[in-house]
Amino acid sequence: MQRGKGMKFVGDSRIPAERKPNIPKDYSEYPGKTEAFWPNFLLKEWMIGAVFLIGFLCLTIAHPAPLERVADPTDSGYIPLPDWYFLFLYQLLKYEYAAGDFTVIGAVVIPGIAFGALLLAPWLDRGPERRPMKRPIGSGLMLLAVVSIIFLTWESVDDHDWEAAAQQGEIVDVDYDVDESAEGYDIYLSQDSCIGCHGDDMLGTSAGPPVFESDYDVDEIIEIIHEGIGSMPGDQFDGSEEELETLAEFIANDGQEP
Amino acid sequence: MSSEKEHRVSRRQFLTYTLTGVGGFMAAGIALPLTRFALDPALEGGDEQEMVAVASVDELTEEPQRFDYSFEQEDAWHTSEVTQTAWLYLDGDEVVALSPVCTHLGCTVDWDSNEDFPNQFFCPCHGGRFEKDGVNVAGTPPTRPLDVYEMEVRDGTVYLGRPISRD
Amino acid sequence: MLQKIYDWVDERLDITPMWRDIADHEVPEHVNPAHHFSAFVYCFGGLTFFTVVIQILSGMFLTMYYVPDIINAYESVYYLQNEVTFGVIVRGMHHWGASLVIVMMFLHTLRVFFTGSYKKPRELNWVVGVLMFFVILGLGFTGYLLPWDMKAYFATVVGLEIAESVPVVGDFTKTLLAGGEIVGAQTLARFFAIHVFFLPGALLGLLGAHFYMIRKQGISGPL
Repeated sequence: MQRGKGMKFVGDSRIPAERKPNIPKDYSEYPGKTEAFWPNFLLKEWMIGAVFLIGFLCLTIAHPAPLERVADPTDSGYIPLPDWYFLFLYQLLKYEYAAGDFTVIGAVVIPGIAFGALLLAPWLDRGPERRPMKRPIGSGLMLLAVVSIIFLTWESVDDHDWEAAAQQGEIVDVDYDVDESAEGYDIYLSQDSCIGCHGDDMLGTSAGPPVFESDYDVDEIIEIIHEGIGSMPGDQFDGSEEELETLAEFIANDGQEP
Repeated sequence: MSSEKEHRVSRRQFLTYTLTGVGGFMAAGIALPLTRFALDPALEGGDEQEMVAVASVDELTEEPQRFDYSFEQEDAWHTSEVTQTAWLYLDGDEVVALSPVCTHLGCTVDWDSNEDFPNQFFCPCHGGRFEKDGVNVAGTPPTRPLDVYEMEVRDGTVYLGRPISRD
Repeated sequence: MLQKIYDWVDERLDITPMWRDIADHEVPEHVNPAHHFSAFVYCFGGLTFFTVVIQILSGMFLTMYYVPDIINAYESVYYLQNEVTFGVIVRGMHHWGASLVIVMMFLHTLRVFFTGSYKKPRELNWVVGVLMFFVILGLGFTGYLLPWDMKAYFATVVGLEIAESVPVVGDFTKTLLAGGEIVGAQTLARFFAIHVFFLPGALLGLLGAHFYMIRKQGISGPL
């Protein structure tokens, strides 16, 4: 760098008045087919990037990001699952020697050793040899880790009941307007066994769905109340047949006085 | 020159020490309120939870039944009506109230839901199992029994409070 | 015209040396896929960076609609995905991009490992890279809660239980992360802050160090 006397600056600043030429370096004397990063190589990288981006945008258009229904902390039936890249850790905690009394092993010791070793790899493997075949221990351990992660993720995906989960998380429209002055509502409120599962607002609890959820007609509703359906037992209604009919009409009419 | 050498601490060292000190003071002055601010939830204890009426004793049987009940929960600036579940059954005359939260990773257990393990609480996440009294089955993931609710029976009604861990 | 603007700025700020410093570095033959097809493995780092850039941009734009509050978070995500034009694409970019960053970063890590590029004198750069690995996993974990839908909520509950199983500090860590005893209003606010400010700040710092070290040391030689 030129310093001292005779140096000229721009105005009163410290910017040298003499301009440096803006010329790219010449790499023709470098070994092999060395290439300039700018613009030669960057163009190739951006071409790869463009192809990558096209694929990526197609993915986002073809598969919208999933969104389940709003979180309901009280829905105790929901089977949780972490995002896919944590599945291997989640699956590890299912095995006998990584769970139960050994949870610490599964949750702390094994991941701790694995990620600790990853972080400290340069000091665990200090030999000058770089080829993977010439350092079999390091390469072997890494291959083992990769295979275990793939295996654990696979097992976890295989174990999970995806259909049930999709159904559990589905967005359902629970926006019913229940007319609480209706006769049918009074009859409903007198039935403790109904309230037990469907809640006193008729909109369901974690034990039963909203009573309006499926589109049954009056006769079908009466039959379901008599016979039961799915995990719902029959013969729980203790009122007269007329009351039952009024209630069924009220339910069939989505919570409005028929 | 010679006069500086006589001092134990040179001028440059003194300035460096002072600089470190002032820098440390500024860093601490900023960091202290920020850290305490961020740590607040971990350092403040949880609030008391009121006892809530859940069921009447005559509804209970020897078989565990699930009861959903709701209460007002304060979550910082947000108060909400939450529904909680308890498994209640009679052990002789004693009422037993178990929390449905699996002690492994917090999923929810269900009574008698798996055909292979009748009369046990079963957790679908990692296959954790508990006996009827809530004690974890050895060899399954959970390490401690299901929590029991703080409980009180008044005038034939069961009141529940917060779940208590029993190790 | 552009040249004139450049000259005008250059006269005042002398930017040519800085610019030449960024632009002038050689790309050796063994990392150039144009000469050896197998050199495509050297692209994973660049593609990781590219996806990180997509993540930062799409994330910035998502916060124009997103509200980190348990009452409105879900509604705002639902709105931006279903009502806002291209909302489905922007959220899709952020959602799928998160997975892609992990995949690309994983492949990049494997490339660096199997070419032994972490060895002397590049130990520090490897450590910085692994730290970024952790930061990105943290971003994935905290970001997953933000839509406040069923799977977000319960995945976080389980994740925090795993943190709790750590001996001694587990309980404290869990309460600190969750901002209380339950996963609720404070958890969402915290995760939002961590996801949007703390971790990206750390990531940018580490990225700067990563790139600086690559330029300073040059890319590792052929095997």
